[in-house]
Amino acid sequence: MTTTASHLGAHSADTPSADTLSAQEQRPGLPVLAVDLVSDPALLGSFAALAHDLERAGIGALTISDGGLHPIHVASYLAPLTDAIALLPRTDAVYVEPFHLATQLMSLDHISHGRAGWLLTAETDPTVAATVGRTTLGLEDTAREAADVLEASRLVWDSWAEDAVVRDTASGVYVDAARLQYADFEGESFAVRGPAITPRSPQGLLPVLIADADRAAVGGRVATELADGRVLDLDVSTGARPDAVVDTVERALAEDAGPAVRLVRLVGLDLEADPLGTVAELSAALRERGLLAAAPSAGQSLRDQLGLPVAARAADPARRSDRARLNSEDLA
Amino acid sequence: MSTTAPLRPAADTELSAEAAALATGPAEHPIHPAHTPTGQLSFGAFFQGVNSSTIWRLPQSGEQVAWESFEALVRTAERGKFAAFFLGEGLRLREHRGVPLEFDVAGRPDAQALLAALAAVTDQIGLVATQNTTYNDPVDLARRFQTLDLLSGGRAGWNVVTTDNAWTGENFRRGGYLDHEDRYVHAEAFVEVAQQFWRGEQIEHDGAHYSVRAQGDLPRSAQGSPVLFQAGASPAGQDFAARTADVIFSPHGTLEAAVDFRRSIVERTVAAGRDASSVKILPGAEVVLAPTEKEADEKIRWVRDLQVGPEQAIALLEQYWGRDLSDFDPEGPLPDVEPEVVESGVTRGAGFQFAKAQELTQQWREEAAEKGQSILEFARVKAGSRRGTFSGSYDAVADRLVEFARLGAIDGLNITPWLIPSGLDDIVDHLIPRLQERGVYPTDYAGSTLRENLGLPPV
Ligand SMILES: Cc1cc2nc3c(=O)[nH]c(=O)nc-3n(C[C@H](O)[C@H](O)[C@H](O)COP(=O)(O)O)c2cc1C
Repeated sequence: MTTTASHLGAHSADTPSADTLSAQEQRPGLPVLAVDLVSDPALLGSFAALAHDLERAGIGALTISDGGLHPIHVASYLAPLTDAIALLPRTDAVYVEPFHLATQLMSLDHISHGRAGWLLTAETDPTVAATVGRTTLGLEDTAREAADVLEASRLVWDSWAEDAVVRDTASGVYVDAARLQYADFEGESFAVRGPAITPRSPQGLLPVLIADADRAAVGGRVATELADGRVLDLDVSTGARPDAVVDTVERALAEDAGPAVRLVRLVGLDLEADPLGTVAELSAALRERGLLAAAPSAGQSLRDQLGLPVAARAADPARRSDRARLNSEDLA
Repeated sequence: MSTTAPLRPAADTELSAEAAALATGPAEHPIHPAHTPTGQLSFGAFFQGVNSSTIWRLPQSGEQVAWESFEALVRTAERGKFAAFFLGEGLRLREHRGVPLEFDVAGRPDAQALLAALAAVTDQIGLVATQNTTYNDPVDLARRFQTLDLLSGGRAGWNVVTTDNAWTGENFRRGGYLDHEDRYVHAEAFVEVAQQFWRGEQIEHDGAHYSVRAQGDLPRSAQGSPVLFQAGASPAGQDFAARTADVIFSPHGTLEAAVDFRRSIVERTVAAGRDASSVKILPGAEVVLAPTEKEADEKIRWVRDLQVGPEQAIALLEQYWGRDLSDFDPEGPLPDVEPEVVESGVTRGAGFQFAKAQELTQQWREEAAEKGQSILEFARVKAGSRRGTFSGSYDAVADRLVEFARLGAIDGLNITPWLIPSGLDDIVDHLIPRLQERGVYPTDYAGSTLRENLGLPPV
């Protein structure tokens, strides 16, 4: 493997202890409230209005789970209809073409002006493996594959410098090959050469988060070392008492072991029957106790909402895309 | 809700001398007895995203990857009742001698993710993604297309391409697994699996390269399933289109070439057991317009000079010579050195693959010497905008297009704007009204699906 891993570590931001916070002291590091939308074709006519209403209610993020329609496309569709709420498709990292997946996710980041994230899952359903002509991997191989696909994706995302498109009319150079680098990822079951076919996206590296529901499948390395944080899942399908939710979130934030809780995700809501009521109630209760990040503002990046630092590019001279030219010049 | 302009039957119209010379059939079917021209044109807007055709040097050149550029372009196209907005795709950044090409525009978003977003801000225009059959999984791709088709209310199209080189394969799990000869055999099986998925069927496919088990589980869209486009000019590509496609995105610009191509496609379509007129032909075109012919001539030269600068001229020749030519003066004659014929031809881009470097470069040297052209002048003529069929004064281009339509040579154009995002403005403001007046272009969308707006039968 010829990857540099310097930027791949987890961001182990200190988890704020709940009792030191008040509503006035909201600061980066508090989790963002997310509502899970299932990409069910029956909801086609409702997606736009739901996203719009949730954004107006100050909800920080929408996660889009696979209910048939491709979650990345649904997220892309919602991007121009919103301008503050973050969009995180929940998609598999195992039975996919890593290069396509990385391209699709960074494109969502372009389209949404930096509001994209990835809720990484590792598929364990054997029928999914069969759709791409593969056999289901064991637990260990699934975890390794998920880690490889995540690392490869980040290398693709990081392959163009922010200023790679120079548009220099004097020299006639549109894109400077010296500011591109190959991904040169070699995993156990696949390799990705790169560079990306898409310029660097606004966030550079999309936040990658692991939902509690997916922790076991993605394995410890992805969940605790590689990902940017944890998603606390709250199943509210059978109703939710605000005080119980507040308790759960408080307890999760107080835990000092494990990855930081970046997202609190409400799953199982019947958004057609109860589009906003429960969400608004829970959001108000959490916010009142100072347990939520401020509502996002228009154009705010997801990294910023989550309190993640701007992603610095890890330039690697050994992988520079103009290395062939450099070598031949050096030889001459 | 069809408000399409009244159709002028091709049989009633007299053909010009040029067109009549090309026509071989009776007046009601001038090109082929089995084919009846509709006399109508549909336009597609082709966002290219690579190559020298897009001018990036002007202050008004928008960002290639910015959402705002795409949104502005597609809105203009929809204002002009374009049937489709069309995105190309290349799954590896183009390189020359191991280094990404630096002088042309490069870098574009994933086609389907972008089109899903454009579906949210448009109502009627079709959304066509070029997607490759060699480096995708059929069920995954089918699900994504069906998602796009459902999100857009039946406006999705798939331009099926087969680029199969191993160099592109370095970005994918399977690498370069497919023999070039098998590209369309594979593509046909791939499309069949996708269609099964769209029909909601159970899929049990066991092919030469993989086995797939899946169950189509999405509802059908308003147009049934995505419209299939095909771009590939080889005989195998034409046969594939004749059996499978709804629309061909062809590279034929002149009337003569378009007539030959139509005849070839009609013959193949009939041989495949389909109705002779069931495959629409939309050649790619660059359109440079001005109020008068004289102004158009000046504008074409101006566009061409901006498209191909000195560095691009040298880079263009390097793609064919296969070696470093940076010591040659762009203002001087073509290089007198021999090309290096390296087997890594694929890294020089799709255009090169089958050309014979030795023959071609010799021919070019002679051609340029004969015309007294420098490297730069020669490259501009080869790669830049030409005084082609679809450039000229508003009226002249409109008249020529009427001729194409009546003869039945084409069903429309897939237009590459040379400027993003304003490159369609004069087409929509000046050419389309003239075509509408002449009765060959719709005054409104025929319906809300891409299939309806291309005049295709329902599935
Ligand atoms: C007008 C036109 C546009 C094309 N656009 C693309 C494209 O965007 N991406 C791609 O991979 N191939 C593209 N191709 C290449 C075709 O997919 C095909 O691989 C190539 O033409 C070789 O096939 P053939 O041997 O049948 O000509 C295009 C071809 C034509 C003629």
